[in-house]
Amino acid sequence: MSTHRDRDVVSGIIPWVGATALIGLAVIALYLFTGAAATRPSTAAPVTASDITFGPAGARVTVIEYSDFQCPFCAEYATWMRRLREKYGDRARFVFRNLPLAKHRWATLAARVAYAASLQGRFWEMHDLLYQRQEEWADSTDPRPLFESYARSLGLDMQRFRDDADAQSTLEFVRRQAAEGQTAGVTHTPWFVVNGESVLPRSLGQFERLIEERLR
Amino acid sequence: MSRPVAVPYRSHRWLPWTLAVLAYIGFVLAAYLTFVHYRGYVSPCHIVSGCETVQTSSYSVILGVPVALVGAVFFGLLFYLTVGLLRGRPPWLTSMFKIMAFLGALAMIPLFLLQAIVLRAFCTYCLATEILMLAIWILSLLLTTRARSGERVQSDAPTK
Repeated sequence: MSTHRDRDVVSGIIPWVGATALIGLAVIALYLFTGAAATRPSTAAPVTASDITFGPAGARVTVIEYSDFQCPFCAEYATWMRRLREKYGDRARFVFRNLPLAKHRWATLAARVAYAASLQGRFWEMHDLLYQRQEEWADSTDPRPLFESYARSLGLDMQRFRDDADAQSTLEFVRRQAAEGQTAGVTHTPWFVVNGESVLPRSLGQFERLIEERLR
Repeated sequence: MSRPVAVPYRSHRWLPWTLAVLAYIGFVLAAYLTFVHYRGYVSPCHIVSGCETVQTSSYSVILGVPVALVGAVFFGLLFYLTVGLLRGRPPWLTSMFKIMAFLGALAMIPLFLLQAIVLRAFCTYCLATEILMLAIWILSLLLTTRARSGERVQSDAPTK
């Protein structure tokens, strides 16, 4: 009699234990999944002389970044990238490629401005400025005066800067990089390719570990 | 003219299982968004999606609690209730599930409108949980009570 009741109790508990196990399993899996920086092979175009780079050409580690100057998350990552360039800039090569998203009104203009600065050897300075002050220009009705003030603060030749930013070749450069990114399967910005593998590190620490592992 | 008779439980055996699966998927999605929130991750800007806008908006947290966490707890609770529904269907449990499903679906309306009108951006994960909640509510309308084994099957329809 008691055995029959025991069996009822056990069979009554099993579904609840099973449900709790499923919930626990999902939580553990999500904890592990959201903690890892997944990598997968990339078909990003190889680095060429036309690319904007930082660091030695023969470096053992190459980090390609597809980015949008108006993307708030790219701005977040830009602070990490700056620290990575400072820390590994002598051993790793950092490549910046434009992928201005259509939904960001001034992204293409910002990309042109950054390229114009690169033609005067001040790309990374302009890159940092554009991200640091993103909130200032992204919501403005016309960011051109702000872009010009950034260029002035960097000591650029202003006439040349304006001409280069407006040049058709500059627009073609930006569009070509964006098209290459989309061909390579880039679906969001920022998008990183480290030594041929697409990866989205979730923290500066993860990014450092990725680079350290490949430098060994 | 004969009145329509509600389909008794036995022909709806799939129902609690379906509800359990939907609630579990909803829990996983909401739990994922909760992890993303608490890990403080920055999300990428998607070419065709506005997930980042929705996830980082001021509306993603209510009184210091992430909406995703509320969703995870809610779907988790629904999942546990479906386990109860699988084992038997006392009227109180069926009613509680129906009420919760209705409240859940109701809560999805402002969340959807926020995305559509205020943020003008849609998060795929959020939309998926909203569709799941709606599906759970619609399916919950099919729930009828079930008597314990050995007793007569009872339906919501008036018996005459």
